[in-house]
Amino acid sequence: MKRTTGLLIILIATCALVFGAGAKEQVTQTVQIEEEVTQMGPLNSNPLSDVRVRQAIAYAIDMDAIIEGLLPGAVAADSLTPNNEWKVAGLEAYSYNPGKAKQLLKDAGWDSAKVLDLVYYYGDQQTVDLMATVQAYLADVGIKVVPRKLEGDLNSQLWVAPKDPVNGTSAVAWDLAYAGLAVVSQYEYYNRFLSGAATNSHTPGNAELDALLDAVNKTNKVAEQKEYFGKIQQFENKYLPIIPLYYQQLFVVESDRLTRNGAGYGNEQYAYDWKIQTWDIKPNADGRKVMKANGGPLQFFEAPFVAPAIFTSQKVLFDRLIVADGGLQNFRGQLAKEYSVSADGLTISFTMKDNIYWHDGSPITAQDVKFTWELAAKVSSVNVLFSGLFKTIVGYADFNTKKTNELSGITVKDNTVTFKFASIFPNALVALSQLPPLPQKYLGTADPLQIQQSPYWQNPIGSGPYMVKEVRMNNYCVLVPFGKYHEGRGIIDEIQLYPSGESDPNLVKNALAGQLDYGWTKSLTDANALKSVAGLKVMPYDMNYTRLIYVNKFAK
Amino acid sequence: MLTYTIRRLLIIIPMLILASFLVFLGLELMPGDAVSFMADPETLANMDPAKLDAVREQLGLNAPFLVRYLRWLSGVLKGDFGYSLTSGVPIKQIVFQTLPATIELSLAALLFSTVLGTILGIVSALRRGRMTDNVLTVAGLLGMSVPQFFIGLVSLFVFAINLGWLPIGGRLRPGYESFIDRFPHLVLPAVVLGLALTAGVMRYARSSMLDVANKDFIKTARSKGLSEWRVNFIHGFRVAMTPVAILLGLRLPTLIGGSVVIEQVFQWPGIGNEFLSAIRGQNYPLVMMIAFFMVLATMVSSFLIDLVTALLDPRVRLS
Amino acid sequence: MNSMQRRLNKKMDILLERENSGPLKKKNLNRALRRALQNKLALVGLGIFLSIIILCFFAPLFTKYDPLKINIRASLQSPSAAHIFGTDTIGRDIFSRILYGGRLSILIGFGSAIGASFLGVVLGAWAGYRGGWFDFLMLRTSELFLFFPQIILCLLLVTMVGQSVGNLLGIFIFTGWCGIFRMTRARMLSLREEEYVQALKVLGVPEPIICYKHVLPNALGPVFVNITLSTAIFILQEAALSFMGLGVPLEIATWGNILNVANNLNILKVNWWIWLPVGTMISLFVLSINFIGDGLRDSTDPSQQG
Repeated sequence: MKRTTGLLIILIATCALVFGAGAKEQVTQTVQIEEEVTQMGPLNSNPLSDVRVRQAIAYAIDMDAIIEGLLPGAVAADSLTPNNEWKVAGLEAYSYNPGKAKQLLKDAGWDSAKVLDLVYYYGDQQTVDLMATVQAYLADVGIKVVPRKLEGDLNSQLWVAPKDPVNGTSAVAWDLAYAGLAVVSQYEYYNRFLSGAATNSHTPGNAELDALLDAVNKTNKVAEQKEYFGKIQQFENKYLPIIPLYYQQLFVVESDRLTRNGAGYGNEQYAYDWKIQTWDIKPNADGRKVMKANGGPLQFFEAPFVAPAIFTSQKVLFDRLIVADGGLQNFRGQLAKEYSVSADGLTISFTMKDNIYWHDGSPITAQDVKFTWELAAKVSSVNVLFSGLFKTIVGYADFNTKKTNELSGITVKDNTVTFKFASIFPNALVALSQLPPLPQKYLGTADPLQIQQSPYWQNPIGSGPYMVKEVRMNNYCVLVPFGKYHEGRGIIDEIQLYPSGESDPNLVKNALAGQLDYGWTKSLTDANALKSVAGLKVMPYDMNYTRLIYVNKFAK
Repeated sequence: MLTYTIRRLLIIIPMLILASFLVFLGLELMPGDAVSFMADPETLANMDPAKLDAVREQLGLNAPFLVRYLRWLSGVLKGDFGYSLTSGVPIKQIVFQTLPATIELSLAALLFSTVLGTILGIVSALRRGRMTDNVLTVAGLLGMSVPQFFIGLVSLFVFAINLGWLPIGGRLRPGYESFIDRFPHLVLPAVVLGLALTAGVMRYARSSMLDVANKDFIKTARSKGLSEWRVNFIHGFRVAMTPVAILLGLRLPTLIGGSVVIEQVFQWPGIGNEFLSAIRGQNYPLVMMIAFFMVLATMVSSFLIDLVTALLDPRVRLS
Repeated sequence: MNSMQRRLNKKMDILLERENSGPLKKKNLNRALRRALQNKLALVGLGIFLSIIILCFFAPLFTKYDPLKINIRASLQSPSAAHIFGTDTIGRDIFSRILYGGRLSILIGFGSAIGASFLGVVLGAWAGYRGGWFDFLMLRTSELFLFFPQIILCLLLVTMVGQSVGNLLGIFIFTGWCGIFRMTRARMLSLREEEYVQALKVLGVPEPIICYKHVLPNALGPVFVNITLSTAIFILQEAALSFMGLGVPLEIATWGNILNVANNLNILKVNWWIWLPVGTMISLFVLSINFIGDGLRDSTDPSQQG
């Protein structure tokens, strides 16, 4: 379970991001693609390299019916890009049209005896049902598909790029792969289609797409980015390198007893400005304000290097230098009093607040910040958001090859810490709003390659509004307000976390038993189950998360 | 007695070594090496091969098979069971954290099934051939026929969610101090886990009670004018208990296996739950070590049960 | 083997039949059968058992629906005249899924039980008959297997070899042979001391022939009881593994996989028709097997009579 959800987390981006507040009306418009397209034959011996076959697959699946019957609440997708301001208008929706699908297959000379291998890696019932449904819809138009759940080392089965990124032959066995793609920015959606991209096991290099991606990767002007991404979406929509299925939301669950006192909602997988110290809850019979939530530790408190804030404990125990709004785009100082970005974007400096303390009462210093990033650069597995940042810092190459003992691009002067970059890393502020500074005095001697084994993570001394009072691993953990918190003492007297992994199988049980005041889930099944529970609010939040079918177009 | 103990030990120790070898072999046969499971697939793709090799070297993955086995075995003997792949937490710590919960659950289930099974078995024997006996026989078979997790889910739904009589799951909550505090949490999982065992105990208790009822000393007791109640319960019970005790020993693997399912249904933070999440996360070192511990537990307890049985019944020692 | 030996074989068999079990044996068998038939529970069990088998294996006679035919717009319908057990989350007819899924579940149960018994009998007979290092080795192996809780071993093997019907069958056979092995071995140990065995040996009949042709048939009685009881156990085990998501791949309908949806509390609460019929079906089928097994045991094993 950890690894499948892990697969999703990893797809985290490296660039600036914008979330749309709501779905825009899509103008459906017949695009003049068909004539051009029908003249295109297969690229190679693999019939899936024929765009008509892929279009037939898209036409054959009745996504609206599937959503209505199986995935109530999901939104049908016509592109990887969700319906936000990055979405270009006028994309073909490939609405259910089995007649057209059959015609396209006939034109493409589809061999109805061919059996396609459809792989997936989620273990839930809903996915299995979806796979059976897709199988049935494709069978209706004459495409035989056999779903197969992948086990074991997913990476080597899914994302191995062929040696020749243009002509193949494919280094993976599957024909179709059902997967999810969760990203922080548009870049992460599309850079994976670059010819020769490390994980591009599915799409032969295409000069037109490469040129578009190259252009968008070189600009940091939002208007230009939008223009190029629009063109990329049109290209995607026309050639369907993947079949987009639906956009998934994240669901925040709260009991009626809880109020956020005006603090907003956001993408709960990340740290954002949710001001938990100002939340309030109806007191218990004994007058104490106790909030119950999931996301507590199973065997240890999760270090923030891979998933910086998926767990409630990670969010409330630590503060970041800066903090983003719910959509992870506008920033304000948190541990930093102020921050400044130079005009060329290559220098970012932070001035630390004076009244910031670790939970043991000792002051948090700018040196702790430097230490944390140097540690991150040595840790064996980190989020690409963080590796993207430290790899562009001046002096990284020398630091990585152990020529120097410190990252020379991070400098500390009094209470100011300055990051100097060798090249632009567009997502730097997002990264800095996610990785919390860690105390050097506790982690200074820890082995970076096995950082999670440090005893620190059994009872971390954090910097956030709440601190650990008691922890019984695998049973519960109790957090209480940190008296010296720089933004004021928390109103809620006690937060009780029961242990759960990244996806919480017990969310519904606990909610039904009245044991949940706050939680979140990405599972539609759970969200729909929770909607009917009295005393609970379930609020969807749009995030960049698309479910799709990858199509392997390389020759086998 | 000493010879018997030594003989049993001589059987059990090679078995343990063999089991440990199998566990290690299983670990080796698992797809991917330890390093490939330290990070998720896409991160791994972004990792520096040199760094990967450094980690491999550090973990000693480049040594020959037998060397690694001996190194691993000596580690195990010294109490170093390795580390969980997904977290890096020492496996020893995980086992020590979760084992007490499982032992608590198993003992409770054992106690429940022994008491209930023996009573029902004796009642059944005393009412042989009558309605009560028939009903109990059918009920016992029914208890063995309904999938355990199904009983678990339905009872969770009814007693914890709908009626709210018992907690929804878990074991410890903030503020709990004694066993009394957490007892309500134990009720549902222990009863459901115990139900499947009850039928077996009942059947055994019934037939050994019937067996004993015709024995001479019972007849003697009767002829001495002891009340029927005393005859049945004091004499019969004592003798009938020995085979039940043996049966419990045989049921231990079932009990441990059952706890995997039940712990999941009731969020019981025991070793079975840990085992399952390790399997789902393909956390092979943890999977293998827990399996090894379970085998160890059954071996040691069967050894102890053998000794106890031998003490109770001198005939066993000689066979 | 020459004709002389063959003749001898035959003769010895006749001798054996007469001498060892004699005319009494036949009567015994009849009595056992009569007793089993007299056992009302066993009869009821047999009735349920046969009904379920017939329902499943002649499924097309009882349902007109294709168990795989989805109808997403007719999902989660409660029972009606058209769908007597309603439809599931993607609109498949549940009754037909239970019947067709039953085929596979029963096949897995029986297949594993027969496979495991076969393996256990073949190994047990030879080990018991020959003794020596083979016996020692097999005995220790079986002990080792018995120390592993079976479900743990199954889970371990599933993670190693992956999930599929064939693998599951293999795993069940591989993990389930010990009980029957030990039973057969114990019977063979006593049977091999019989005089007719010595006689056959002296006459130079090949050992495997003596073991499997002349001695083994006398040890088979309890095996049949065991097959029925292990079928029940394997069907429950398939369900338990499916519940944990580690049984037969979820896209293949088996009773365990159909029941797996009870994991979803919402379905448990609202859509009772999805889990209750299949839960009942599994329980009924296993119960009927247990009734039969119980009856058989009572009739073959006098010590268990009450």
